[in-house]
Amino acid sequence: MTTSLTEITATVTGIAAAEIGVPAAELAPETDLRGVEGVDSVKVLRMIAKIEREFDIELEDEDVFGVSTVAEVAAVVEKALGAK
Amino acid sequence: MSVQVPWSVLPDYRCFGCSPHNPHGLRLAFHPRPDGLLARFTLDRGFESYPGVVHGGLVGVICDETIGNLIVLERHKPAFTVSMRTRFVTPLLVGREYRCVATLRADGEELFHGSAEVLDADGGVCATASAVYQPFALDQVRHQLTLDDAEVDLLSRAINPTAINPR
Repeated sequence: MTTSLTEITATVTGIAAAEIGVPAAELAPETDLRGVEGVDSVKVLRMIAKIEREFDIELEDEDVFGVSTVAEVAAVVEKALGAK
Repeated sequence: MSVQVPWSVLPDYRCFGCSPHNPHGLRLAFHPRPDGLLARFTLDRGFESYPGVVHGGLVGVICDETIGNLIVLERHKPAFTVSMRTRFVTPLLVGREYRCVATLRADGEELFHGSAEVLDADGGVCATASAVYQPFALDQVRHQLTLDDAEVDLLSRAINPTAINPR
């Protein structure tokens, strides 16, 4: 079963919203998650850890530290799902 | 109430992770959960890395230990870790209580896939781990384990009490 980029983006948005404490409606694909007020590196890593568990994937560290926007996170998730 | 691990039938087992007989070990105790197994732990300065920080390798040990015991308790087979990946989210601090929660993926007979999270008192994720395990029969690893025949029988029955011939 494949998961579409739209579905991945929706799931990533939900997890990101919960982890950084903002309503999902405030997050767009182009939102820079690291730039959201109150977001630090721990919150970003907790979001990544939740995403990895949700999709049962292991993201490359270079990808984890290279992404900032919701769309970029969704893209590396899609890449990891494709590699499974 | 903590669950008794099968190894405890050996009066002097020395597992670094879970034996109460190893003075240098972590002495982890495990508690059953509907979806897996939980271990609470607080490490002192004997397990320190940077001042005040628990050595990161021990986070891996605790995750491995909790997943490994979940496997033997749930699948009734001992297993060796064949690969493990840990994501460190935030340092663990000496003297603070944390809990490790392990779960198993439902699939897999030849290889078991487990994962674990280490959480702080507020439920924040401090580390995650995913690992793969290969089950083994005690008889097939006799050259690696220091167990006599009586101990193999005892341990086999403890690991899988319902088997007709657990060895």
